[in-house]
Amino acid sequence: MTRALRPGLAVAAVALAVLIAFAALPLFGKSPLDAAVALVQGGLGGPQALGESAVKAAILLLAALAVALPFCAGLFNIGGQGQLLAGAITAAFLGHALRLPGALAIPACLLGAAAAGGAWGYLAGWLKTARGVHEVISTILLNWVALHLIENGLVVGPLAAHSSDASISLPGTAVISPAATLPVLWPGTRLHAGVPLALGVALVLAWVMARTVWGFELRAVGASAEASRSAGIPAAARMRQSMAVGAACAGLAGALLVLGNLGRYPPHIASPYGFDGIAVAFIGGNTPLGAAAAAAFFGVIRAGGTRLQLLGVHRDFPEVIQGLALLMVAGRAILGWAWAKLRPSRLEADHA
Amino acid sequence: MREAAEALLRATLDYAPSLVFAAVGAALTERGGVFNIGLEGMMRAGAFAAAVTALATGSPYLGLLGGVAAGTLLSVLHGWLCIRWRSDQVVVGIAINLMMLAGITVAVESLYGQGNTPSAHALPRLHLPGLAHVPVLSALSGHPITTYLALAIPVLAHLALSRTRWGLRLRAVGEKPSAVAALGLSVSRLRYQGVLLSGALSGLGGATLSLAVLDSFNDLMPYGQGFIALAAMIFGKWTPLGAAGAAAFFAFADALRIGAGAAGLHLPRGLMLALPYLVSLAMLAGFVGRATPPAADGVPFDPEAR
Repeated sequence: MTRALRPGLAVAAVALAVLIAFAALPLFGKSPLDAAVALVQGGLGGPQALGESAVKAAILLLAALAVALPFCAGLFNIGGQGQLLAGAITAAFLGHALRLPGALAIPACLLGAAAAGGAWGYLAGWLKTARGVHEVISTILLNWVALHLIENGLVVGPLAAHSSDASISLPGTAVISPAATLPVLWPGTRLHAGVPLALGVALVLAWVMARTVWGFELRAVGASAEASRSAGIPAAARMRQSMAVGAACAGLAGALLVLGNLGRYPPHIASPYGFDGIAVAFIGGNTPLGAAAAAAFFGVIRAGGTRLQLLGVHRDFPEVIQGLALLMVAGRAILGWAWAKLRPSRLEADHA
Repeated sequence: MREAAEALLRATLDYAPSLVFAAVGAALTERGGVFNIGLEGMMRAGAFAAAVTALATGSPYLGLLGGVAAGTLLSVLHGWLCIRWRSDQVVVGIAINLMMLAGITVAVESLYGQGNTPSAHALPRLHLPGLAHVPVLSALSGHPITTYLALAIPVLAHLALSRTRWGLRLRAVGEKPSAVAALGLSVSRLRYQGVLLSGALSGLGGATLSLAVLDSFNDLMPYGQGFIALAAMIFGKWTPLGAAGAAAFFAFADALRIGAGAAGLHLPRGLMLALPYLVSLAMLAGFVGRATPPAADGVPFDPEAR
């Protein structure tokens, strides 16, 4: 079940998903060729498109790390969405309330968001190790607790923007201070400092997982919690820590959304980036660098999705590809089986 | 007071059924040992297919069947990947959710140029003879067929699961599939039956949203009810009657919150909405009662493993 995903298989899965999704377009009277051109232009054609793609990819990457890291320790974190919202509301609150210069305001907001997301994930880790609650169930439930407490509680209650004129009610939280806004790095685009930040986090985590004792212990716990315990590794602590660090990444994704794109916490964060992160992580083989590659691809086609509007195709079309690709990755045993049928000689050579 | 009680009962009977169907379906598939967190996607497909079918045929009852068919179809995919190919059940469920979330948005917009379908004929309200003037009980009359199905199906599911040979076997594949295999029974077939029932019921739940609660599909459906159904199932300790009771309780709490708001009494909305999930978590953690999933829930059956 947890066979490693070979890069070739991941590429095949994504390619197949792209093919199926485009093949469905004529059913709705849309031209697949026009859609493909629009998607590539919208994602890669020019600085603005590239900037959009990079920003989307950065958020997807952080959301994916929230899944990939706990997965290394044998945990399935599907609470990325709740952890992201916890980070987003914290960033929105700190970004408005703190009166600090930019050099301090941004790190403070990012750290606060990471801590809030991390705490929300740690809770699921604790429920797992101390109370035996399966993390899949607890994180599903915690997603909804976070959503309701934040969007139907804080955002409409204590943190709602105070409008000087009572007749105009600004929905969402107050706008963050300019000092807390992530600076744009590429003038003329929306590419902000969150992009190198996400990439940096992925690189650091890749190094930590591959080269440190902590990373090794995490992987050992993932391979067999029992064996690692008898080898003296504090398995329960490593599990909780993997959830906390992963969830901190989701919190950062929420901060990027607020500090880089939205400027405040809107009445409702509609994009399910936390769930998209699951798809990106699994398609990327649940490694930080694989997730980065998958995030780059989906960042590009999702940025391209806005261009599809011109053709009358909803901009969520790339998300269909993402869902299909996840399905292909989940059912990769079938792809492997089909591959073996097609290339029997190659398989025997592999076994020799 | 009597009017308030009647209004509450009436609202609960209108809003609970979709959740009841999905929660009972969740209990059936998980008692058979297969996780289905794709309920949300299956409900969404059911809601959409039901509206489209009702629009095409002019019959809301055929629409209901269309919804059931769509949910069942997706559960065939879920079952095939999870049972035949032993894929990760959680990942498949999430993939189904993501595909349906985006795919149906794309389909609705392409077909109708907007985020919702036009109005279809909603399910007619059925009036039970003799109840019109009975206090409180009169609220039982005047609901679409889905409400009466939601009263009957949990009982049928309970009887099937606890009083029939099939039910015993389904529960056994959820606890210890190797024992069932040793008896010479097909673990796969039983698990497929559980998964397909959950698909059919969540499709019915979705159809209830688009044909009984409203008369069209809109892009927000099913409003997270697929996940609330999972919470209801946990709250009901993985039993059909418990799951249905919890679903009804959630719907009642919602009706109460809305009713209190209309009466000028403002409860903390966020906390009220989060409460079902918090209580479910507390139950799982053993702080309030105890909820224990079936032993082999979510574990693919490998006949060659020991």
